[in-house]
Amino acid sequence: MSTPTSSQPKVSLPLAYQQDLFEEVCEQDQLVILARGLGLLPIITSLLHKYDAVGNNLVLLIGADDRENGWLGEALAEHAVRSGTTEARGLKIINTEVASVSARAEMYKQGGIFSVTSRILVTDMLTDLIDCPKISGLVVLHSERIIATSIEAFILRIYRQKNKEGFLKAFSDNPEPFTTGFAPLATMMRNLFLRSPSLWPRFHVTVAKSLETKKAEVVELEVAMTDSMREIQTAVLECIETSISELRKSNSSLELDDWTVDSALHKSFDVIVRRQLDPVWHRISWKTKQVANDLTVLRRILHCLLTYDCVTFYQYLETILATHAPPPGSTRSSQSPWLFLDAAHTIFTLAKRRVYIGKADLSKKASGKVPHGLEPVLEELPKWAMLAEVLDEIEKDRYFNPALSQSSGSTLIMCSDESTCRQIREFLQTMHETPLEDLINQDDELEEKPNRASAAYMMRRKLRAYFAWKPDFSKFSALLYTGEQKNQSQGQGNFGGPANKIPSNEGSRGRAPPPNKRRRVRGGAAAASGPNRQNTGAVQVTEEQSAQVAALLAGVQPTEGEQNLKQEIGADSFENMEDYYEFYEMNDLIVVHPYDGDMDERLLDELRPRYVIMYEPDPAFIRRMEVYRSSHKDREVRVYFLYYGKSVEEQRYLSAVRKEKDSFTKLVREKGSMSVTLTLDAKAVEDPQEAFLRTVNTRIAGGGRMMATAVPPRVIVDIREFRSSLPSLLHGRNVEVVPCTLTVGDYILSPDICVERKSIKDLISSFKDGRLYTQCENMLLYYKNPMVLIEFDQNKSFNLEPFADLTGNIGQHDLQAKLVLLTIAFPKVKLIWSSSPYQTAEIFEELKRNQKEPDPLEAVKLGLGPGEEIAGVYNQTPQEILRSIPGINPKNIKIIMSEVENLVELSNMEERDISALIGKEAGKQVHKFFNRSAFS
Amino acid sequence: QKLPRGSSSILVSTRQKGNPLLTHIKNIPWEYASSIPSDYLLGATPALFLSLKYHRLHPEYIYTRIPKLPQAPLRILLVLVDVDTVSTTDPLRELTKTSLINNLTVILCWSAQEAGRYLEAYKSLEKTAPTTIMGRKEEEFGARMVECVTKVRSVNRVDAVSLVANFGSLRGAINAKGEEMGLIAGWGERKVARWERAVGESFRVGK
Repeated sequence: MSTPTSSQPKVSLPLAYQQDLFEEVCEQDQLVILARGLGLLPIITSLLHKYDAVGNNLVLLIGADDRENGWLGEALAEHAVRSGTTEARGLKIINTEVASVSARAEMYKQGGIFSVTSRILVTDMLTDLIDCPKISGLVVLHSERIIATSIEAFILRIYRQKNKEGFLKAFSDNPEPFTTGFAPLATMMRNLFLRSPSLWPRFHVTVAKSLETKKAEVVELEVAMTDSMREIQTAVLECIETSISELRKSNSSLELDDWTVDSALHKSFDVIVRRQLDPVWHRISWKTKQVANDLTVLRRILHCLLTYDCVTFYQYLETILATHAPPPGSTRSSQSPWLFLDAAHTIFTLAKRRVYIGKADLSKKASGKVPHGLEPVLEELPKWAMLAEVLDEIEKDRYFNPALSQSSGSTLIMCSDESTCRQIREFLQTMHETPLEDLINQDDELEEKPNRASAAYMMRRKLRAYFAWKPDFSKFSALLYTGEQKNQSQGQGNFGGPANKIPSNEGSRGRAPPPNKRRRVRGGAAAASGPNRQNTGAVQVTEEQSAQVAALLAGVQPTEGEQNLKQEIGADSFENMEDYYEFYEMNDLIVVHPYDGDMDERLLDELRPRYVIMYEPDPAFIRRMEVYRSSHKDREVRVYFLYYGKSVEEQRYLSAVRKEKDSFTKLVREKGSMSVTLTLDAKAVEDPQEAFLRTVNTRIAGGGRMMATAVPPRVIVDIREFRSSLPSLLHGRNVEVVPCTLTVGDYILSPDICVERKSIKDLISSFKDGRLYTQCENMLLYYKNPMVLIEFDQNKSFNLEPFADLTGNIGQHDLQAKLVLLTIAFPKVKLIWSSSPYQTAEIFEELKRNQKEPDPLEAVKLGLGPGEEIAGVYNQTPQEILRSIPGINPKNIKIIMSEVENLVELSNMEERDISALIGKEAGKQVHKFFNRSAFS
Repeated sequence: QKLPRGSSSILVSTRQKGNPLLTHIKNIPWEYASSIPSDYLLGATPALFLSLKYHRLHPEYIYTRIPKLPQAPLRILLVLVDVDTVSTTDPLRELTKTSLINNLTVILCWSAQEAGRYLEAYKSLEKTAPTTIMGRKEEEFGARMVECVTKVRSVNRVDAVSLVANFGSLRGAINAKGEEMGLIAGWGERKVARWERAVGESFRVGK
């Protein structure tokens, strides 16, 4: 390759293992599995740049998500500038929004590095829009997601069929998925058409050596949870345990070894549960499904407990409670089982007690008086105080030891997500703007107590917002489910007082988020008189109000902090982080940022922080710090590591570390035993699925199609269907797959036979919204033999959910009853039952036998209205949302989609404008749906 | 129990005597009729019953029956899947083809109970208008709203409710700014991005 490539790696890959890995992957096609946090993207960038710099390459990157695309694009551009090559053209991204078919063809012809959405790429490859033999190579990201029937595997198959020379390199930084199932690594290698895996765990010799030369200074700080937090945590864990045992009890046939509280803490638990339950999902009881969902909710609560402030946390709990009530008209009148546990009670009471104590006087509601005895507690998260302390220490340290090294002296605070960032920022901004009152004390002494970090100011703001939100929310949830609900009415009783009081201070409450509200409050504050000092419970809340307002007045002086505050709320978009995440200009900068995978590396590089505070534990980031430290020996850095002792957080962190290590160990072992079969012949030992795919492959590759029949059988497939695995399997059976945008049907087998494919899930939902009915109507208009394919999933059990209650009367709401109705309404529509996409492919072949081949041009035109051009594809999600809006039916949906740009536009349209498009009645419905107030 | 006569009951061919599914027809009266060419007559709809186990032993049987089946708009082939999934592949492929040629509608069932239930359903829904499958009409706002919002991936019930409760109406939610949404409990940046994309994306690609 050209000169810059040799020098390039040294610039960006300073560590020995990185260089080794880079050289290895350049040399041969392989699957690279790197431990998280060791920096996969830089290596991929170097690799891509190597090809970019040469110029006339066509390299395709598949599996990258939006952010990775953005990151890689920038990194490539940077490399190009640094290496000074004129040939490098950077990363071009092809997804749904850009590029028509012809433009894409042109782009491919010009060559370069492309990141293409899989669904687009596969159709482009099938239609020869992209010239496969000209492709220099494929780079696959997130290889762990590739299974035999996935669209990426399909791409690789087409690629390897049409192009034997190009390179193929796959990457993953997620070892866990490679270890489930039988001989998972070997299977994966086959799916990837690769022979050698290359494993880079943290305990790899080179990795270990590279990272241990210079260790970062780490200060571990164990923060104790408050008593109530600990109790809530215990209670949630108890609920989880009960839910799990509930699942075990009702599904004794399943293998539930993995279902433990410990694994329930791990992120992949949902996946594990679904993987176990999916094969029988349509058969398990409704209760089991509910419990499975509950587990997700409970896990979420655990997470929120440690991250949300107490007000938000309680607010979130209330939302959960309201939405977990049974929908009206449901015969299943039970709530989620965990809500009945004592532990659940504990959760709710304690959560409330963290916000305020005392009970409301229900009778006062009507009279407009304020309830008795409400006292704010506003428990702060212990980490806040710790954070303030650490920052204090840092400040001192910076003063006494001025920066000597290359580090910038700035402080970086890393946390798990954007909302935590926001919380920390808000806390840091306001921690010294202590409200007039002495912290959380209940005696109403108005006392200035500055210079001690406290979240009181922030918490009060939140509490106020909460009280504003509450009555609205109660109304809303009452509206949601008109059925009487104990919790709701109680809630409303509780908050009736404050609700009636607050409006005088705040014009529009709750609906607007804090920034606006804050301003409004300020306006109102002018009217409010000084703080009321009365110590009776009755006025407590009023007093709170005015006290806060006064505090607010003090807080919103046009200070530096104020200006920063505005910035903070104005922009949280990720792209502009460097501009906006700064907010606290003292001697130096403090940056708050969420963990962001490999993107963090750039952050560290740009910021060169001297102090890093890990607000929440993240194993990958620890490695990243190691890498950073080792790659920049001249940069001084000290890491503070905050975690709640004996908490789920700690446990989760430890088990994540352990899991990754275990996975790598397993992989290393499998690699050792696997290499034999692979080197002998990759195709020798195969399971039937693979054999199925491969026999056909070789036939095509061997030029068999030339000799057999003149034309291979052809199936026209709707572009949207490429999400499913059926097109891939059809292609595997030597059927020519023609991707088209179809208005009628999903698969056209012959001029007469048109098939609408429905997975069980689709079938249920399209019965519900009447889609299938219109689809059948449409198919009947244009085809002699319309068929509905009911396709079950491979590995999922092949039968329908039994009639809900086989003894009772015949309802019309069972899936089976609906099928009966469908066949009665459309006797000409035939059903195809298939246990898996594999079987479907076979059935299709059988059905096509002795039939004429379908004509793509003809098929595309069918179903289009007069004057309608061949439709561009519709974007899936907006279309689905649109379809679920009352008043929209399958006929007028097209008008909307061609006349209106997007949902934002539609929601802002006047009623008469909508009516002009789709008629008066429908227009009215649509308009009402968007504008109906949630509170009336 | 005395059975009512006439078209209000399911007519069962005497050939089907001993079929366990008969014991599961409980909600609709049925009676034997010796002269019908089909196995069952559900109003105007004739139905044939086939057990896959039997079909494996006597693959020709069903083809002797089909030609005798009277013409009707809807003709049912009720197939009882009493073999394991792997061995359904061949017969189903073949029966699907046959159904296409002979104007039969294949209905699969997995138990005698389910089979009986299908027969009952065909009979009792014979004259029912297909309104339940034409999409629902009026429903409560709350339920519709939740359904609408949860179309966006990874958005669940709780999120939907807190979103709309926060912005007052669906319109407010659709026009909300990302950073405002981020303040709602449960709405992480990814969810927000997905939502914004869903409402901001044009309906048609490339427009």
